[in-house]
Amino acid sequence: MREVYVAGIGITSFTRLEYPLVEIAAYPGLMALRDSGIKKVDQLYVANMGSGRINGQTGLASAVVDHLSLTPAGAVTIENGPASGASAIKEGFLAVASGMHEVVMVIGAERMREVNALEATDFVATLTHPLAEYIYGVTLPSLAGMFARLYMEKYGVTSRHLAMVAVKNHHNAMDNFFAHLHEEITIAGILDSPEASTNNPFVADPLRFYDVCPVSDGGACLILASADAMKKIRKPMIRLAGIGQATDTHAVHERKDPTDLLAVREAATQSFAMANVQPGDVDVAELHDAFTILEIAESEEVGFFKKGEGHCALEKGETKIGGKLPINPSGGLKAKGHPVGATGVGQAHEIVLQLRGEAKKRQVENARIGFTCNFGGFGNNVVCLTFIKEK
Amino acid sequence: MELNIYGYKCRRCGHLHYPYKTICKKCGENDHNEFDIVPLPKKGKLLTYTTLYNPPSDYEVVTLSLGIVELEGGSRITGQLNIKNPKIGMKVAGKVEIVRNDEYKKHLGMVFYPA
Amino acid sequence: MPVDLEKILRPIDTPHPRFPAKYMTLANGQEMVIRQVDRDEIPDILPHVEKLMRVERDYYHIVSARVYAELLSYHTYRVQDEYVLIAQVDGELVAVVNGRIVNPDIGMSLHTLSMRRGLRVGAHAFAAKMEYHIDILKQKEVLIVAESPIGFRRWMIEYKLEKRFHIPHELGGCPSWALTKELFDKARNTLVVGRRPVPDHLLAKAKAAILTPTDPPKPPEDLLAATRSMLDNTGTSLLEMKKKLGGM
Repeated sequence: MREVYVAGIGITSFTRLEYPLVEIAAYPGLMALRDSGIKKVDQLYVANMGSGRINGQTGLASAVVDHLSLTPAGAVTIENGPASGASAIKEGFLAVASGMHEVVMVIGAERMREVNALEATDFVATLTHPLAEYIYGVTLPSLAGMFARLYMEKYGVTSRHLAMVAVKNHHNAMDNFFAHLHEEITIAGILDSPEASTNNPFVADPLRFYDVCPVSDGGACLILASADAMKKIRKPMIRLAGIGQATDTHAVHERKDPTDLLAVREAATQSFAMANVQPGDVDVAELHDAFTILEIAESEEVGFFKKGEGHCALEKGETKIGGKLPINPSGGLKAKGHPVGATGVGQAHEIVLQLRGEAKKRQVENARIGFTCNFGGFGNNVVCLTFIKEK
Repeated sequence: MELNIYGYKCRRCGHLHYPYKTICKKCGENDHNEFDIVPLPKKGKLLTYTTLYNPPSDYEVVTLSLGIVELEGGSRITGQLNIKNPKIGMKVAGKVEIVRNDEYKKHLGMVFYPA
Repeated sequence: MPVDLEKILRPIDTPHPRFPAKYMTLANGQEMVIRQVDRDEIPDILPHVEKLMRVERDYYHIVSARVYAELLSYHTYRVQDEYVLIAQVDGELVAVVNGRIVNPDIGMSLHTLSMRRGLRVGAHAFAAKMEYHIDILKQKEVLIVAESPIGFRRWMIEYKLEKRFHIPHELGGCPSWALTKELFDKARNTLVVGRRPVPDHLLAKAKAAILTPTDPPKPPEDLLAATRSMLDNTGTSLLEMKKKLGGM
C-alpha cells in the first residue's frame, strides 16, 4: 500500500446553520481546496447520516461534487451512522493507498437542526435494533444512561467526574471559533449550588443535561493525497498512518459485559498496530464524547489508561491541554458539537490542525502523533485513526 | 393466552439468541440457519437501568424507565421497567405488554415488575 | 382641560405585595438576581429591548416589539396593574419578564424576554414570574400563551399547562393556557429555584445600574461567512458579516 497524506483541511462552524445541506458540505470543501492549493480531485466521498430522512435530499455526493464544480470526478455518499465521517476517511485512504487515485476529497456534512431536537433524537435512535431496542423507546441517551449507571457502579466513577469532563471540554471550546457552545460552565453551577439540579436536569439518569452533546449542523473536509501528489503541495507532511475499524453486537444487551466497548478496543489496536505506535506515544487525541461517560470509557479502551483508571487521570488533569495527554482540545462533541455525519471528519480536522501547529490558543505543544476515535451506533461500529507528523 | 417474547435456539449448538440472527453467533456454522423458536424466560435480575426524561415524541408519558435484564438461563433482554426504585441486581419478573403505539400498529414487548 | 383628561385615561393600580428579590447560581457559576422594577427604571431597560426588534430570529422581533410597547405603556400609565421583573448578572440585564393582575384570582402572564441565550436564564425568570402570581399574590391561576416554539416547549410542556381555550389571552386574543396552583406545586421542586434574601452586595450591584447586555441575541449570523473569511485574505466577507450585524 502507498502512503497517504493530508493535503488540505476545511471546516464550518458546528452550530445551527440556516443554509442548504449542500452548501454546508461544499464550503469546507472549498476551504480545503484553497488550503492545499489543489484545483481538481479524482474522487469525492461525502459522509452523511440523515439527508434522506431529515433534509429530504438523497444522492448528496452528486449534488456536492457539482456544487464544487469538480465534475466529472467520482462521487460517493457514505452512511455509516455517527461513524460515517471516519468511515469515509477510510474509503478515501484506500482509494489513494491502492494506487487507484492520487487526490481524494472527503467531506462530512450534516444538517440536523432543520427538525426539532426530539425528532433529531428519534432519527438517531433509528440506528438501534428495530425490534429489540427501538420499539421500547430506546434512544441513544438512554443507552448511554444504562451504560453510565453500570460503569459508575463498577469503577467508582461519580457525577463529579462526568461534570469535570464537561467543564474541561466547554473550556477548550472557548478557544475554538468553530465550536457550537461558547459557554464556560463550572462545577458549582452544574453540580454543587442549590440551583444545580434545575440548571442541569436529568436527561437519562444518571446522565444530566451537561453530560450530553448538543444537536448541531456542520461540515468538515479533508483532502488526502499520495506522496507523489504531495510534492506539488507545500503543506506539512501529516501522514494518515493507521486505520482501525471494528464492530460489535447490534443490540447492546447481547454484549458479555455491557461496560466493555470491544469495538473501540479492537479498532484502536488495529490503528496503532498499522501506524506502528503505542497508545503511550500519542500526543493529542479526539475521542467521541457524545456523552461525557464515553470520553472516560474510550480513553481506557483505546489503551491510554488502564480499565477503571480513566477518571483518575481526568482528576489529575492529565487530559487537559498542557497535561500529559490532552483529550478533546477542540471541545469534543460535548462542546464543539455533533453533526453526526461530519463528526469523524471534524475530529480529524482538529488533529491535523494540532499536528501542523496551527491550533492557536488551544495548541498542544510539540504534538507529533494524533489519534481520533469515531464511535458509531452505541459502540457497534467504531473507526479509529492515527495521524503522524513527518519531519 | 399468555404472551411471550421468543428467542431463537440454534439446532446445532443450542445457543439461545435474542434478537434473531441469520447465522448462529456461537458455532458460526453457516451450512444451516435453523433455529427453534422458544419463549424467553420471564424472570431475571436487573443488570442496569435508566430513566429517560424526554422519551420519543410518540410516547404520552413524561418519563420512561428502561433496563437490561439478565434472564434465567443467561440470555439478556432490553425492556421497559415498571419499578419504583430500581436497583442493580434486583430480581424482576416480566410481562408482555404494549410498549409503543406507532399509529395503528401496537408493538408488544417485555415490561418488568419487581419479582 | 388636559389634566382632567389624563385622570380619566390613567388607570389606578390596585395595591399588591411586591416581589421579594431572589438570586441563584447559573451553570457558569455566576449569580443572577431577579427583582421587581418600578416605573423610574423602565427608561434604562427600553434601549436594550429596542435593539432586539431587528433580530428576526426565534421570534425575538415580535416579542421585543410587544415588550417595548408594554414597558412604555407601563411607564406612561396606560396599563392597569402591570408589573415588571428583571434578571441581572453583575448588574447586566439578562432577562425581562412582565405580567398583569387581572383580578385577585387570575394573573395574565405577558412576556419573557431573555437577553442572554442558554444557561436557563429565561426559564429562571419565567419561574420567578409564576412564583410571584401563585405564591406572593396568592392567585389561583395564571393565563399564558407562547409566541415562539421555544416558549411553547419551555412553558407549555415543562409545566404541562392546562387548556383554557375558551378564554382569549390578552396577547392577540389567542387561546389561553393556564398554570394552576396544583401544577405549580408539582413543578416547584424541579423548575423553581432561588434563594432569599439576596446578599447586600449583590442587590446593591443590581440596583446601582442596569448595564447593557454583553452578549444579546443577534440577527442570524452568516456563519459560512466565517468559513469563507478564513480563505479570503482581503477579509471582505467578514466585513460584510459585521456590517450585517450592525457592528460597524
